[in-house]
Amino acid sequence: MITVEKLHKTIKKRKILSDVTFSIAEGECVGLLGPNGAGKTTLIKCMTGILQHEQGAITFNSTPIVQHKKSIGYLSQQTDFKPWMTCEESLFFFGKLSGLDKEFLQGNISAVLKEVGLEEKGHYKVEQLSGGMKQRLGIAQAILHQPLLLILDEPVSALDPIGRNEVKKLIARLKKRTTVIISTHILDDASEFCDRFIIIKNGRIVGNINDDFQKTERKQILVKMGNVPKTSEALKSSEVEGVECLSPNTFLLTGAKELHLNKVVNDFAAKEMDITSIEFYERGIEEIFLEMVSDT
Amino acid sequence: MTNFYTLTRTELVEAAKEFKFIWLTLFFVILGLTQPLITKYMDVILENVGGADGITIDPNRPVPSSAEVLLSTISGQFNQIGLIILIISLMGLIAADRNSGMQDFILTRPVSLRSYLVSKLAGHWIISMFSISIGAVVSYVYTIFLFGSFSFSNFVLFLLLYSLWILFVVSLAILISTFVKSPILIAVTTIAASIFFILIKGFNHLLFQLSPGGILNLAENQLLSVHDLNYFSIATCLAFISLNLSWASRNLKKA
Repeated sequence: MITVEKLHKTIKKRKILSDVTFSIAEGECVGLLGPNGAGKTTLIKCMTGILQHEQGAITFNSTPIVQHKKSIGYLSQQTDFKPWMTCEESLFFFGKLSGLDKEFLQGNISAVLKEVGLEEKGHYKVEQLSGGMKQRLGIAQAILHQPLLLILDEPVSALDPIGRNEVKKLIARLKKRTTVIISTHILDDASEFCDRFIIIKNGRIVGNINDDFQKTERKQILVKMGNVPKTSEALKSSEVEGVECLSPNTFLLTGAKELHLNKVVNDFAAKEMDITSIEFYERGIEEIFLEMVSDT
Repeated sequence: MTNFYTLTRTELVEAAKEFKFIWLTLFFVILGLTQPLITKYMDVILENVGGADGITIDPNRPVPSSAEVLLSTISGQFNQIGLIILIISLMGLIAADRNSGMQDFILTRPVSLRSYLVSKLAGHWIISMFSISIGAVVSYVYTIFLFGSFSFSNFVLFLLLYSLWILFVVSLAILISTFVKSPILIAVTTIAASIFFILIKGFNHLLFQLSPGGILNLAENQLLSVHDLNYFSIATCLAFISLNLSWASRNLKKA
């Protein structure tokens, strides 16, 4: 659906994006992760056509993405709409700019307000809305024209826990019917609804992780021992090359390549070691992210 | 065209909601009133207000013509204090949109940068000219009442040409807004640049021809009944407006 190829972007002689390449398939929900200043917002602004890139290409169904503005819904980091407009007027304004006709808008605005839970706030002025409500209004303007692709830039970062919860529920509903890209640095939120993560650091893609990455990358095993070995070295074998003691009877075993549970169990049985439990260690997205963006 | 209309209309409604039409118009009406009144009643004002010890006003001084009074209103009031306040009122025209995220929301729609910038130009030019025109008409009425008649067609021609200068100032504010983020700095830089363009036109004929400020001389000539429609000054001013918008558009695309 979307392909970004060898994208380069410089702002005021500073390289913001370098050789950024990835693609997103229809129906995916992709998290764009990165520390502050990594280039996430610049990448999104290039993808939405707000900024022009110097090199590379961004295509939507094989044609330049700028030709598909009607198919893109976008939520910016700041959602301070015109304070004097009501919610309905704001949506009407954005609908007109999207080329929607008056009849369609009259019917659709109330439906969209209902979808984002603002059906009773249609006549409220934007200045009367809370942060969470403004964010939901922001999502309403992004989905008003029924886009095929929804790009949300830090949709929950500035919200309190209640507002955050409201917006997260809304995103979970939206991802069922449209392709979604969510830029965030709040990893717990991203892991809740993303199928895949693209990690960006200093303007470069440093990771492109599938949802099942944690399951397929089976290089670590968490084992609980009944009888504790005298030294952790005793747990090493031809397969296990690293042992980390997490608690007196819990150890994290790391293999040079993929580990096999049955082989490890057999090795321990041969050494007459008592195993209480054994399972593959699944790293969380936060751990993977920190590993990928760390400077060491 | 629909987008241009929608965006321009929003600018105008916003100005109405923020009472900009009222306070800016009142300001220019006060400016337009004070010059003819002060010129006519300076001796009475000094007599009543006091502090005129040692100042003698020649009772036989020549009475200025209505053209001279109108000219001093425009050059002395509108183009100095008026211009500064006008530019201060323009300082948020792009910055506010950028800081609130509105600019991003608008530009991710099928809206061209040209439509966005031209709607800003048109909207703020209409607001500015509405206020300036009412102030100028009040000044015109008071001037002909106090100092004698003056050709209305010349006055209208003056306003038309002066509106081109205002169009240039708005385009300059738009351009500077794409370089600078702080609204105060936008205002200060636009004021300085406008003064620069007014000053350089007086250096020599070539600079006069090449400066967008040349349009001011052309406008003022209509008040002095000098019917010299220098089309080159009009073309220069329009070229600068176009250049400012293109440059602004390029800046927004790049960063």
